[in-house]
This record gives sequence, C-alpha cells and structure tokens, in this order.
Amino acid sequence: MSKIRVVQYINQFFAQIGGEEKADIPAELREGPVGPGLAFNAAWGDEAEVVATIICGDSYFNENLEKAQAEVLEMVKSQNPDMFIAGPAFNAGRYGVACGTIAKAVQDNLNIPVLTGMYVENPGADMFKKDVYIVATKNSAAGMRDAVKKMAPFALKLARHEAIGASCEEGYMPNGVRVNLFEKERGSARAVKMLIAKLNGKPFTTEFPMPSFDRVAPNPAVKDMAHATVALCTSGGIVPLGNPDHIESSSASHYGEYDIEGVMDLDAAHWATAHGGYDPVYANEDADRVLPVDVLREMEKEGRIGKLHNKFYTTVGNGTAVASSKAFAAEYAQKLKADGVDCVIMTST
Amino acid sequence: MKFVIVTNNPRVRDELGKEFEVDFANITYREVLCKVRDMIYEGHKLLTHPLSGSVKPNETPYKSILVGKKIGKMDLQDASIIENSIITADKFSVKFPEMPDSVREDFQLIDTTLIKSALMSIPEIF
Amino acid sequence: MKKLELGNILIHDVQFSNEGSKVENGVLYVNKEEICKIALEDENIASCEVFLARPGESVRITPVKDVIEPRVKVEGKGGIFPGWIAKVDTVGEGRTHVLKGAAVVTTGKIVGFQEGIIDMSGPGADYTPFSKTMNVVVKMEPVEGLKQHEHEYALRIAGFKIACFLGELGRNVTPDEVKTYEFDNIVESAAKYPNLPRVAYVQMLQSQGLLHDTYVYGVDAKKTLTTIITPTEVMDGAIVSGNCVSSCDKNPTYVHMNNPVVTDLFEQHGKTLNFVGMIITNENVYLADKERSSNWSAKLAKYLGCDGVIISQEGFGNPDTDLIMNTKKIEAEGIKTVIITDEYAGRDGKSQSLADADPSADAVVTGGNANQVIVLPPMETVYGHLEFVDTIAGGSANNIDAHGNITVEIQAITGATNETGFNYLSAR
Repeated sequence: MSKIRVVQYINQFFAQIGGEEKADIPAELREGPVGPGLAFNAAWGDEAEVVATIICGDSYFNENLEKAQAEVLEMVKSQNPDMFIAGPAFNAGRYGVACGTIAKAVQDNLNIPVLTGMYVENPGADMFKKDVYIVATKNSAAGMRDAVKKMAPFALKLARHEAIGASCEEGYMPNGVRVNLFEKERGSARAVKMLIAKLNGKPFTTEFPMPSFDRVAPNPAVKDMAHATVALCTSGGIVPLGNPDHIESSSASHYGEYDIEGVMDLDAAHWATAHGGYDPVYANEDADRVLPVDVLREMEKEGRIGKLHNKFYTTVGNGTAVASSKAFAAEYAQKLKADGVDCVIMTST
Repeated sequence: MKFVIVTNNPRVRDELGKEFEVDFANITYREVLCKVRDMIYEGHKLLTHPLSGSVKPNETPYKSILVGKKIGKMDLQDASIIENSIITADKFSVKFPEMPDSVREDFQLIDTTLIKSALMSIPEIF
Repeated sequence: MKKLELGNILIHDVQFSNEGSKVENGVLYVNKEEICKIALEDENIASCEVFLARPGESVRITPVKDVIEPRVKVEGKGGIFPGWIAKVDTVGEGRTHVLKGAAVVTTGKIVGFQEGIIDMSGPGADYTPFSKTMNVVVKMEPVEGLKQHEHEYALRIAGFKIACFLGELGRNVTPDEVKTYEFDNIVESAAKYPNLPRVAYVQMLQSQGLLHDTYVYGVDAKKTLTTIITPTEVMDGAIVSGNCVSSCDKNPTYVHMNNPVVTDLFEQHGKTLNFVGMIITNENVYLADKERSSNWSAKLAKYLGCDGVIISQEGFGNPDTDLIMNTKKIEAEGIKTVIITDEYAGRDGKSQSLADADPSADAVVTGGNANQVIVLPPMETVYGHLEFVDTIAGGSANNIDAHGNITVEIQAITGATNETGFNYLSAR
C-alpha cells in the first residue's frame, strides 16, 4: 500500500522564517516537510508522509481571510492529499484561529480528513472544536514532541477512515458528540474516586459536562419609553447590500456598525443579510423582517418611543463562538452607552 | 386542586373519564406534549412529569399528563420541564411504523397505570 | 455496631441433575423438576421451562424480566427478600451465604414490548454484566387471560422463590471467601473517624406504576417518603425490582443485592471517607412528590452531617428531573455531590443527553449513550421470545436482516448503561 499523502499548514514562525515581523508573508507552497513535518514523518515511518507544506504568515491569513483561504485551499487541492494537518499551534492565538479556519475549509470543500492541534485556551479551540478534530497540546512549542506523539497516530486513523473512539481515548478536545467507551473501572468506583477528589478540593473531570447556561439577569424595565433612545442590534446578519465589511456567513470574526440616520425602511435595494444559516430570501426581500427599522420609525413618529438610535450593530450568529459574540457585544455596548442609548432590542433569527 | 387529564389514550378516557375531567383528543404523543406546553404558557400548573414512564417516546404512542386547572402566572420550572421533555421526545427519531393491537393495548395499559399512580398522590382523592 | 458477613461460594459451572439440586465443588446442580414445581405453586403460572446459559455460549436470553442472585440467611435476624419471601424482620446482620457467580434469570411475556437482551457471547455480551454469570434461565407462561399486573407479580415472586431455593443449597457449604461489612451507628462512626469526610449514598428508586416499580421490605416505593436504610440491608434483598422497562438502565434485583455504590463506598470506609448511611428516595410521576422527595433527600443528607453524597438514578426521562432536583438541593446544603446517570444522546451522539440539567451537577459519571447502535449476530439458541425484538425500545421494525443479525440500540441490552455504576461502559 502506498504511503498516505499529507499536506501540512504551518505559520512563518514554525517555518523558521521569522516572528511577528514576518507575520505578513503570503501563503507559499513548499515540497516535502518543513519544521514540525519532519517530526511527523519520523513518527509515521512508512505509513504516511508530509508531501507538501503550506507556509503562511499569521497576519496575512487573518487580515486577508477570504483571499488567503482561497489560496491555501487551491494549494492543498493541487497536492491531491489524503489528509490535511494544520499546526499544531499551541497557545499562539492567531495561528490557532488560522489553523481552525483552514482545517474546516479543507474539510468542507475538499472532503478529506483534517486534524489540527492547539492549547485548550487558544481562542481557535473554542471556535473550531465542534467543527474539526483538535488535539489538545501543551501551551508552548516545547510541547511539540508530545503533540506529535498524540497527533500522528490519530491522523493515521482519520486518514484511514477508521472508527474514532471517545475524546479521552483519542486525545481530541470534546466536540459535543458523545462516544461510548469501556472504562477500566466500573462506574461506581469512578464515582467514589470523583467524590473523594471533589471533597478534598483536588481536580476531577466530569464525564458529562452539563450544557453551559449563560443566564443574564434582565435589567429593570425602562420606565419612560416615550423619551427613551432605543437601539436595534441583531445576530441575523443584516448589512448594507454588498456586505461592505465582509461579515462572514458563518463563524463571524467581527461585527458591523451601520448608520440609519433618516432611513425609514430597510428596502431590498440597499439592505440584505450576510447570514448563511437560514433561508435568506425573506430577509433579502425586506430586511425589516429581521431588523424592524420600519416599525421603530413608526413608533418614533407616534411618540411611543423617544427616538431610534441612528446606528445599529450587526453580526452573524451562525456558528459564531460564544467568546467572540461576547467580545463583540462588550465593545459595542460601550459605544451605545457613550451615545446615550437607553435600551436595546436584540433580534435573532 | 382542580385538574384535567390531557391524553390521547382512549383507555384513560374510558376508565377515568367518568370520575375525572379528561381532555381526550386523537392526536400524537408529541401533540399531547405541545398541547400541555401551550396550557402551561397560559398559566396552568403542570402536575405530572411529561416523560412519565421509562417507555421511550418513540415506542409508545400514548401519553397522559395531569394539568392543574387553576389559571395563574406561568410557572418557570414547569415551562422548563415541558420544553425539555419535547426536546427529549424529538431526539428519538426512529419511529415504529405500526404495531399489533395487542401491543397497542399494552401501551394503553401502561400509560393508564402511570397516570393512576399520579392520581393516588393527590390528597383529596385518596 | 452492625456486622454482616457475606460468605461467597464461588460458582464456576452450572449443570442439570436428575437427583436433587445441590452445590458441590463450585458447581451448581439444578434439578429442573424442583424448579418448575416452585414456579407452578402459583396457580397463575401455566408452564415453566428451565435452561442453563453459561458465559461464552451461543445463547440469547430475551425478554429478561429480572436477574436475581441466590442467597441464604445463615445467621442473624430475618431472611432474604423481607416482605416477600421472609417476614419483615430487619435484615443486614449476621451471616449470609451467596452463590457467587450464579444468577436466576426470569423471562416471560408480560406486555408486547417486553425488553431486555442478554447475549452470552459475541459483541452484545460485552455490554451486559449478566453474560459473565452462570445463569439458570426460567421461562414461565401465564394462565390464559391473566392481567398484566398479576402476571408481573407472579413472575417476580417466582424468581425470588427460585433464587431462595437455590441459595438454600449453599446453607451448609463452606464459603470460598468471607467478606465482612461492619457498620457503626452515626455516633460511633463520628467518634471513630473524626477526620474523614462523611459520605452517604442517595439511591433513587424507580417508582412510577406497572412495570416501573421497586419495593422496600415489601412496600411499594412510590408510596414512601425518602428514608434511611443501612447499607447491609440491601445485601439481604431489602430492595427488590418490579421494574421491567428500560432494560439498559433499570436495576434488576441482582444489582440491588450487589449495589456497587454500596460495596465501593464500603471499600473506602475508614480509609478515605466515613460511609455514614444510605438514603433511598423515589421517582414518582407526580411533580409535588418529586419536590417533597428531593427536599427530604437534602434534609436527611444534612441530618446525617454529610460532606458528600453519591446519587444514583434509575430509568429514562422523568427521573432526570428527580436527579437534578436532588443534586441542586443537596449541593445547596453545602454537600458535595457526584451523580451517576446515563445518556440518550441520539444515535449520532449529537443530541442533548439528559432531559434536565443544572450547573450544580458538575461531577457526573455516565453509563454511556443508550442510543448507540449495535448489530447482534444470531445466536444458536434463544431462550425466551425473540419476536419482541421488533417492538422493544431501541429496536425498530424489520430490524432483523436475512442473516439473522439484529440491529438495535444498546438500550435493549440488560444492564448496558446501568446508573448505579454496575457496568464499565461510559461516554465522552
């Protein structure tokens, strides 16, 4: 059987081109392994090999997201590989996000197995662990040997389309898909151990993390709506036609701020949705269906609200990481406060 | 407390209908849950767990739920229980297309005993 | 101080015998006629057949009604299965002999969707703890027209009687090993282990109606208030199963007698923790009952001065709410909890696992995803009724292919995802 062909994506630092000062180098394809690829090849022996390495600067990738992604995809495709590996990125944030982004793109577009690795607190982990297999690594490049030890055999399994075991067996980050396994100890013995750890304040890992609840206590009601400034915000992706800020149709990396001074109605000639997670026809026909500017304007006219704030904030909620959403809102909430907005209507889809 | 038995189980209608108020309709298991959900939103109190019985939601076609008649404010915990029950029922996607009458009757019986066990817990009845 | 000695007579084989049933050199000899005679004492049972199923054999037992371990009370008050076979004397002291490695498995059609599969070999055997026991399979058919609840009762009692009959054979046999379980009252144990964390076990008992019931000293658990029981009592059969639904996560009587949380807490008793007692609570259908029972669990856990508890569950759906109520209220008392449950995460593992959840349940042991699909190859011999495999939970219509392979979810397998932690399966 011939060797499994692997293409690997790494950044400028792991290609030993340079640090932050070289982070803007565009994507480049080199034959054979570079940097970490050598360790992977050694681990695989005759089973698999890195046939090509794509090197890309972290700034270049993140600042030219769509272009860089298209370029890298094209390079991967040209090698006709059986498997794609991105990173490992350890604790490097932008590298981690790039690894997750490109791994997901390769998986979705080229339909080959992909794998990446990073430190559990890397922002890329939260963003992509549900989309692609991410092996948990140590938090610095000193953990390369350990990362390769975990990633190399797992990559072989993926490339061979073998049955994938539970996260704790294979070493990938829990991705929300529950997989059964047989433990060495029966459940009651594990429960007793867990309780002893919990009682002694020692770390323990629950076998089933409860769904996370992020409950926000509502603010007191606005007493005088007739004099309140009301802002509209949405995760439904309403943007000016043409999506000038390129808000992604899923896993949005940023939000948009748009002026609606004097806009009475979001018509199809000027407004549309960037959201990729629902049928856009009705939102594109009349964006007020998602962001009800028309109704708020009427209320403004009738004096039922003081006024509609002249800017709205928008992003795409489709697959966007909770951490990112929180960061967006924390930022524009300050702007809303500074502009004297009294209350916000947040619409979803 | 006044209550109504919401059910799609003809046996519950026949056996308990004379003694208690039974709201019977020839609807699906899921539709019973949804009907009760709507009642809870209107301020009815949920009295029995919607997923009563270990018989799986895609296994038995029958469901009976005790709902309080008193109209008040929506109970948040009740709303959460019924919503979670609908989500849980929905994940059992593989359905049994048909079953012999004898099995159907067994499911009717089990559902009846489950709701009877709840009736026994109502102090004013027993 | 209470003390119970369990004298384990290790059974490594089971054989039929034309002479009287006996235990000799680790072999359980079973006389069919003797067993059938016991079963047929009940006028509601029309016929009885006895089979033997040993680990590794190409045998499938289905539908499983109950699994029971043969035991006999040799010294001390009362007898096995108080309230049923013995009087209601308080048990759990003295000496009990156990035919360790043997089990009585009852099978019979009570309702058309009767479930529970035990495969003695093949991939299914890995998922059931009862593929490792020497099983005396008793198949009983009722007289015509017998009502379901009378039928369930007849099978349940016949199982207990047969298990006691076999247990009696070990009365005068010298056990291969003796395990001693000592249990102090709370004053003594507090003095003995002043520095160890105080731990109780909260066992939730299935209690919803026909085929969903559990009994304590003969009392229907749904008519009980949450109460305290000493852990050695369960070893003498104080808690028995009348539960025949959701076979993967129901507790057969065997599991109650061998409650693994009890044994594993005893294992640590006096070393890393002080096992102060066992709280039993129910899983009723009526929501006010749930509130009351969980209030009482929390109250009793506090009353026992607990620092921590282990909570185990039984069954699907409705008990998730009891589990979360118990956990929330006990944690709110400042008592740390570990809970044992199982999951229904869908065949693809992507659905929400539990019907209820709360952040206070931060230490969970899972018995695995019961919706996992498994293909069970045909077995040479089937004891029971295979035709039910179409209509049981986790099955689906036409799930037997031309080669006799059965495609089911593991929820059809007896004990697969047991929520007392009796099995080794888990999920991540």
